[in-house]
Amino acid sequence: MCGNAMRGHFHVARGGDKTIMALHRVSFRLRQTVTHVRSLHTSGGSQQQEAVAAESEPEPLSIFRTQENDPACQSEKHFGQYYTLPSAHVRTVFPHGLPMRYKQQVKTFNEACMMVRPPALEVISSLKKTDNSKPAVRYLFYGLKGSGKTMTLCHTIHFCYTQGWLVLHVPDAHLWVKNCKELLPSSFNSSRYDQPLQATEWLRNFRITNEPFLSKIKTKQRYVWTKRESTEEGSTLGELVDQGITRVKTSSDVVGAVMKELRLQSGQPESDFRLAVAVDGVNALWGRSTIRKMNNTAVDPEELTLVYNLRKLMKNDWTGGAIITTLAQTGAVYTSKYSYLPKELLGEKGFDSMDPFIPVSVPNYSEKEFESCYLYYMDRHWLQYPHSRTEDGKKELIFLSNRNPSMLERICGFH
Amino acid sequence: MAAHTSRAFLSLGRINVPGLGLHKSVSRVTYSTGLSTDSSKATTGSPQKGGKKVLSKKYKREPGDPRTELMPVDQDWTAVYPVATPFIPDAIPLPVRMGCPVKGGAPPEKKGNLELIKIPNFLHLTPAAIKKHCEALKPFCTEWPSALDTDAKCDEHFPIKVETKSYVSAGPSIRNPAARIVHLSVKLSSLNLNDQARKKMLKLVGDRYCKDTDILTITADRCPLKQQNYDYAMYLLTVLYHESWKIEAWEAEKTVADMEEYSWEGSLSQENILDVLVRMKEAGEGEGEEVREQLLGRREVQEYKDSVTRLKNEGENESTMLQYKEAVKKVLKL
Repeated sequence: MCGNAMRGHFHVARGGDKTIMALHRVSFRLRQTVTHVRSLHTSGGSQQQEAVAAESEPEPLSIFRTQENDPACQSEKHFGQYYTLPSAHVRTVFPHGLPMRYKQQVKTFNEACMMVRPPALEVISSLKKTDNSKPAVRYLFYGLKGSGKTMTLCHTIHFCYTQGWLVLHVPDAHLWVKNCKELLPSSFNSSRYDQPLQATEWLRNFRITNEPFLSKIKTKQRYVWTKRESTEEGSTLGELVDQGITRVKTSSDVVGAVMKELRLQSGQPESDFRLAVAVDGVNALWGRSTIRKMNNTAVDPEELTLVYNLRKLMKNDWTGGAIITTLAQTGAVYTSKYSYLPKELLGEKGFDSMDPFIPVSVPNYSEKEFESCYLYYMDRHWLQYPHSRTEDGKKELIFLSNRNPSMLERICGFH
Repeated sequence: MAAHTSRAFLSLGRINVPGLGLHKSVSRVTYSTGLSTDSSKATTGSPQKGGKKVLSKKYKREPGDPRTELMPVDQDWTAVYPVATPFIPDAIPLPVRMGCPVKGGAPPEKKGNLELIKIPNFLHLTPAAIKKHCEALKPFCTEWPSALDTDAKCDEHFPIKVETKSYVSAGPSIRNPAARIVHLSVKLSSLNLNDQARKKMLKLVGDRYCKDTDILTITADRCPLKQQNYDYAMYLLTVLYHESWKIEAWEAEKTVADMEEYSWEGSLSQENILDVLVRMKEAGEGEGEEVREQLLGRREVQEYKDSVTRLKNEGENESTMLQYKEAVKKVLKL
């Protein structure tokens, strides 16, 4: 079969000059996939556009990839296609944000490719139109387990970063309400509790992401940490963050101070930055925690400084930015495995606090997206066995994974 | 009971005491045919007392055709099985099989099948037999009132329905303790209740109310006699009705958590949306109260209110979520 002969070429031509092989590849792919593409129920115009675009460009381009790496310029015609994140961006924007399996995949494939999907583009187009003078709008991604909520959030964060926004990313709010090794009573407010380890780690990652802003933003208030240490008014944000990282005991309060400063300053006419608050697993803020006090009673999330300050950020009483959040059942405590809808995960209190928000549903892959993912894994040689290249193999993958992205990724590792 | 125009259901209890004088004659005939060969052996084999040999063989009658062959197809079945009788294979013209099947084969046939005899059968209660019962009971019945020809009319004139069961059985005692249970069912829509009274009534009765059919069912079984239970059930209904109309002083302390349904007015959601709209300066300048009134009158806010109420009352699914999303987008002008 001509298909098998082409496979040999792949091993030779990784990363080098792939024009000739790629042309073969393109034609083979077009023969194989144009039939698939035509039978899918997507808008007729976009299919023709894709087919035409693939044929006309002599560059190594496949149906499932797009060269448009800037999230701001992506549109509906890129639905289902993978775009590559530059590795510099991956290091700075996502020191702690990507899902674990995706990080492993990036390391294996040596590239960070993300699929362009409708929920992300919907929120991105709303973000493009945000008015700086209006209160921050809250977006909430919800969906079944493994349907791609965290990845959609990362896509949106990437957009905010490329547009020059200040990104305040809390990768998993669940980490702050469970498995706390050190719990100190807060010096600022005796009824609250500090979590120095989590706070320091978060500050470190915050510093990596937002280097350029740290020297530009100045504090508007004087913060006194101890009798001898204090941060004066007008000092840069960078100094504040360094204070928190070096003096671990005060790190939770530093996090609170950072959040307060950013909240007050964003949207003001003299500040030129826009704030994007991204929280993954926002239902942890209003749920229960597994941390226990010394007398073995459970700690209410409200009594944790980090959670308390983050809740204040979640309110839409500040302007000049947006709040993008995700629900997560995966790390949640005391929630049923099958719950995924906003009201059941957020609870009454959470829903009333987030109200009004825009819920964005993140569904499983559509047929087109599944095709794209399948081709990508084939291209990356993730699908090893010849059976998975047949129609039967593809049907098997669809049946086993039900087009759920994370299930598909796990299953393809065995096929 | 003549004063109460209610329907009482009779149910005949099963006669489950076999082996009484009723059945003796029938069964002997069946079994004796099967034993005919054995009896001859027994007489010849066993020696008589005193050593005298009895040479006379007992006259053995040839077993005739089973009755099933001789039955006409249009016979009167109620004559074959007039009362509850165990299963007689030669009297029932059906090729019934019952029991554990032999490996690769069929279950055992009906001839000599103990399983068929053990189980209860209702061959004496065929539709033809029931028709005869009804005809026999008709002289004792009164006519159904001609004005009550539809179910709706019955509900309208007789909203309270009382269900009781009585039991007939042959045994040492004719009493059955299960006969004392009385079920009283009534539709709440036929009771004169206003909104507050209805909510209080629902809280008082709890599980006894079915939301789909709007029927309240009171079951009384705490007294030893049916009449006492019936009186108690009517008393309960009266008390519930009067109690739900009373308003106590402490009912004014009803909190949001006690409410049966979500009402948007005065809720956090209303506060939030008004807050947001004021900050977005949608209403222009003005005093607090007027601004609120004006904002509440807007169409987007009304739509938002509907979507939140629907979400909270009906629970969440794709359609309610979508409606909520559209409403929020319109309100926030996105």
